[in-house]
Amino acid sequence: MIEVENLTKRYGNVTAVDAITFSAKHGQVTGFLGPNGAGKTTTMRVLTGYMPPTSGKAQIAGYDVFDQSMEVRKRVGYLPENVPLYRDMTARGYLMYIGEIRGVKNRGARADEVLERVGLIDRAYSRIRTLSKGMRQRVGLAQALIHDPAVLILDEPTIGLDPIQVLELRDLVRELGKEHTLLFSTHILSEAEQVCDNVVIINRGKIVANGSPSELRTTLAQGGRVLVRVDADTDAALTLVRELPGVDHAVVEMDGIAVTPKSADFDPRPSIARAVIEKGWNLIELRPLAVNLEEIFLELTRRQETAVDEVAAEEEEMEVAP
Amino acid sequence: MRAIFAVFKRELALYFRSPIAYAIGFAVLFFLGMLFNGYIAQANGQFPADSTYAPNLLTFLMFLIAPLLTMRLLAEESREGTLETLMTLPMSESQFIVGKFLAAWGYYTILLLITIVYHILMTIVGIPDLGAAFGAYLGAWLYGGAVIAVALIWSAITEDQIVAAFLGAATILVLYLAEIAAIWIAGQPNTTSAAADFVRELGLQAHFSATMGQGIIRAEDVAYFILLIVGALFITTRIVETRRWRA
Repeated sequence: MIEVENLTKRYGNVTAVDAITFSAKHGQVTGFLGPNGAGKTTTMRVLTGYMPPTSGKAQIAGYDVFDQSMEVRKRVGYLPENVPLYRDMTARGYLMYIGEIRGVKNRGARADEVLERVGLIDRAYSRIRTLSKGMRQRVGLAQALIHDPAVLILDEPTIGLDPIQVLELRDLVRELGKEHTLLFSTHILSEAEQVCDNVVIINRGKIVANGSPSELRTTLAQGGRVLVRVDADTDAALTLVRELPGVDHAVVEMDGIAVTPKSADFDPRPSIARAVIEKGWNLIELRPLAVNLEEIFLELTRRQETAVDEVAAEEEEMEVAP
Repeated sequence: MRAIFAVFKRELALYFRSPIAYAIGFAVLFFLGMLFNGYIAQANGQFPADSTYAPNLLTFLMFLIAPLLTMRLLAEESREGTLETLMTLPMSESQFIVGKFLAAWGYYTILLLITIVYHILMTIVGIPDLGAAFGAYLGAWLYGGAVIAVALIWSAITEDQIVAAFLGAATILVLYLAEIAAIWIAGQPNTTSAAADFVRELGLQAHFSATMGQGIIRAEDVAYFILLIVGALFITTRIVETRRWRA
């Protein structure tokens, strides 16, 4: 439903989105995951036809987002990040206005239907300025749904909501994902893990990983790195682990010791467990690293940053060399 | 068409729900009423009943009214971020801007129609020239549309309503005073009358005060105002487009 190919967006010298390629299928929730400023909003703005790409191609339902913008816009519902609304209008009045511009038939009935859907029917005639942040988010969502679009694009829909509202909205997103092609962005990793069928991780304008949460977990856990926590002096434990056969290096990380084996196929856990027990220490935890998205994410972004730093260092060297 | 009408309807209704429209309406009609009263007292049977007085005065006041009507229209949408939602709807910039423009022009039209009451008063005290009245009202209507379109450009350029209003008023005043610039140019040594005429023809007064304002409908004056409306709306569309693409 959404096909993005080598999409690039530059603002002057700043490359916000750098040749990204991904796709989103119908009836699935695709999560766009990345830290703030990664290029999520920019990508969404290009997809919704708000701004043109610098280069590359993006298609929604077979229509090019730039050349056939109006066709794309008819099929997309969009909730911008800061949920801009007319504060002087009533929730229903606002939906009627958007519906009229969109040419929705039976606007009144449809407005009531979407208000019902987002659970706001009892506040239909309240002015938007009197609604809470969570309710406004729902009005924004209702606006995106008014024309029953094939594709829904939601930019950080859970930002600024209280924990209960966040849970409710996630349920709604999951439910909507069954009927629509749903692309939503977040910088909260657990959210992506819970809600998405497919996760696209983006950092500094580049896609660093793409797959289902479980796929990402298995592929990335295979770095072979393990985390060990023991009930003993950290330095002593570090020395012990480092001297084990097959261990390349070990460093203190988080609240334990991260062990990297010489080869990714080698599982150092049995030998670590045995060595710790033989010392008479208590083994508290021993697990592969990068098992949840949070660690995968940190790992991926760290990799990318080291890569960038290396390139920068090389460039510096080259400048000095002649 | 549907989108233009939706935007037009909302904006026009908004004028009547905001204090500013009533404030403008009150101030203009009050001011006009006072001056009309003075004018009638002065005329006192000495010169013929003339219905072109009210539309002429209203066009002069437009340098203040037009920016107040347009300052909010685009500046607020861009400041509040609502432009982002609107510009991802199946509606082009031009439809959106034409809708906004027609709302402001519509409000002005209502104001102008209210001043027809002075023509009615005139018919009570005398026999005003209906043809002159028609020409002056048509002229004032086009004149209003043109200056509203010009003021709207500034609302697209800046997000600050006060700045938009101020610069809008300044731009209209410059167009209005082109007449004086032309007189100054004509008074300089080594200038041709063509240069002075050119500057004069660019201004608003050359196409209103002595012609349509007196009821003389000239094709070139009608063309001037229509061109100004279309040109200004085109510029506004381009500005909104560029701002969006850069944002």
